[in-house]
Amino acid sequence: PAALPPAPLGFTDVNLNSRNTYEVSRRRSAPEHLPHGGTAPAEPAPPPQEPAERARHRVGIAGAGSSFAEFFTRNFFTKRTKELKPAVQSAPGWKLFGKVPPRENLPKDSKIIQQEYEARTGRMYKPPPPSARRKNIEFEPLSTTALILEDRPANLPAKSVEEALRHRQEYDEMVAEAKKREIKEAHKRKKIMRERFKQEENIASAMVIWVNEILPNWEGMRATRRVRELWWQGLPPSVRGKVWSLAVGNELNITPELYEIFLSRAKERWKSFSETSSENDTEDAGASVADREASLELIKLDISRTFPSLYIFQKGGPYHDLLHSVLGAYTCYRPDVGYVQGMSFIAAVLILNLEEADAFIAFANLLNKPCQLAFFRVDHSMMLKYFAAFEVFFEENLPKLFLHFKSYSLTPDIYLIDWIFTLYSKSLPLDLACRVWDVFCRDGEEFLFRTGLGILRLYEDILLQMDFIHIAQFLTKLPEDITSEKLFSCIAAIQMQNSNKKWAQVFASLMKDNKEGDKNHSPAPKS
Amino acid sequence: MQKHSQKEHLYKLLVIGDLGVGKTSIIKRYVHQNFSPHYRATIGVDFALKVLNWDAETVVRLQLWDIAGQERFGNMTRVYYREAMGAFIVFDVTRPATFEAVTKWKEDLDSKLVLPNGKPVPAVLLANKCDQGIDVLMNNGIKMDQFCKENGFVGWFETSAKENININEASRCLVKHIIASESDPVQSVEPDIVKPHMNSSKIVSCSSCFKS
Repeated sequence: PAALPPAPLGFTDVNLNSRNTYEVSRRRSAPEHLPHGGTAPAEPAPPPQEPAERARHRVGIAGAGSSFAEFFTRNFFTKRTKELKPAVQSAPGWKLFGKVPPRENLPKDSKIIQQEYEARTGRMYKPPPPSARRKNIEFEPLSTTALILEDRPANLPAKSVEEALRHRQEYDEMVAEAKKREIKEAHKRKKIMRERFKQEENIASAMVIWVNEILPNWEGMRATRRVRELWWQGLPPSVRGKVWSLAVGNELNITPELYEIFLSRAKERWKSFSETSSENDTEDAGASVADREASLELIKLDISRTFPSLYIFQKGGPYHDLLHSVLGAYTCYRPDVGYVQGMSFIAAVLILNLEEADAFIAFANLLNKPCQLAFFRVDHSMMLKYFAAFEVFFEENLPKLFLHFKSYSLTPDIYLIDWIFTLYSKSLPLDLACRVWDVFCRDGEEFLFRTGLGILRLYEDILLQMDFIHIAQFLTKLPEDITSEKLFSCIAAIQMQNSNKKWAQVFASLMKDNKEGDKNHSPAPKS
Repeated sequence: MQKHSQKEHLYKLLVIGDLGVGKTSIIKRYVHQNFSPHYRATIGVDFALKVLNWDAETVVRLQLWDIAGQERFGNMTRVYYREAMGAFIVFDVTRPATFEAVTKWKEDLDSKLVLPNGKPVPAVLLANKCDQGIDVLMNNGIKMDQFCKENGFVGWFETSAKENININEASRCLVKHIIASESDPVQSVEPDIVKPHMNSSKIVSCSSCFKS
């Protein structure tokens, strides 16, 4: 079989990534192979009787349209490769769900063999950027051989000589044109393949450097120019969680044992909560208890609404309980902060990259950073300071767009709240969000705001044509085809310097202004 | 299309209520005519635009502000209320606590926002997820009418985003009241009043939308 058989290509329409809420209705092709709507949330894996060959294609192909599948395969590929015996030739990514598709009998072509080899040797399969692949799919192989020049049917008068000649000529031109296109497309495909292999090699070699050189000498190397540059390129998924953990640190000195303690406390609370609520539904038994119960209920409600299209955090999904545990333990650990919407997205991304206790430790420490603490405590006056600092750099970098937004009184709280609260994990495709997290771990809060400006820069021309409601709609639901290359080149072009003042200085001076003459009182965080 | 004589109105509407009551679903149903059980939680605010051909001469453009439901965000979301002309307050008929929160939402709304003429903004109460077969309200129609009068709602509807029940009707009711309130004599010229400590709601005594 060809590497990309036309039949399952329709899967590119299936957007498994976190951003799309309509994907169910779009699963037109081969719907019988897909879990539908949520009837089978725990089974994104192909049915066992399906040949592994097709399953493999689905993983790869879905990846083209969906950053999640890419993320998923990359992640689990690398995580699982150690456990895989070389003889096992199933798609390793699907082992997560405990279903190993039966071995295929189909002859493999060289590309597939190469991919499998790479999977075993720890290299990762990385689909090309979605845009490039999408173009490829729109191209339908022209059936030049099926296009046959025929004479008129016998019951009609025959063509004249000139007409027949002209038709012959037109026909030849059509065939030549089609051939040209096919050749061009073939070249394009080859180029994409070459790029993909290059990318894979880059990731593989970066992984070696991270594992062998950087991680063993973390403190000494983390701030070096070479490491910072490599870091900017994106962390290889296999070391991502580790690097995030190291970069976020553990100022709070949380141990896995401490996590277990808070988790068991949370579990007791759930138990008593479900017992009391069955006894009495409407009567409130003390305000603080009611608050805590509300917080627990919110977690329950939000978990099902965290990356719903992935079907892994929903009830019955493989990570549902994990997400519940991490969030529940956090509300016991920090009752002063409690559960706030947006947290579920952050915890989910961490869970996808780290073991349970490590995910909790990173989560608690991440939320303890000044910016995150300000937002999750909904400290409105602090949030306004962050927005004001953002606007300083907005005006500096994108003056035209800044004025355009001003003219509509379109303030950052319209779009930044969602971006900052979820660290872009809700608004950007998941793999891209992870890349933002990579550099956020390197550069700190400043990078969150720089990313926001990068997004505005990327779409500046479109946004300048829009009015208030369309800008607001656009920014709260970004296009799904946003690519990391484009976004990161826009982020790189954003200067975080304002008349020689850096982000931290601009922010500090805004804080000083606040102390001197602002009547705005900071709302006390509710506990 | 009698474009020559068409008037265009632009109204900003808020959609508020507790977390998970179906605000986003109602808007998606209303604007995009579809429903999915898999919407993501709203953080901050989301937006939608609905254009209504109100009558032969009038086009109404509705800017829908879908505001995150967690109570904690109260302080943050007040800026979103500015210049709104009407509101839907939504609760989930399967969760009594979300109905208890309705008065809180209404008070919050009225304390942060009044119309230029000093009156509260028209608000319609939506009892969502009525397809779930829970009859808490069915027998309480009179009580609900009473509740709406006491709390200054211009009307209430049992809705279902899933089954597309009553959403268009509720919207027409709200828009009707907005148009009516617009023709009220304007007493104050201040376009946007945010009064933090005014929570005694003045009741708009119009019950034309009440169900009998």
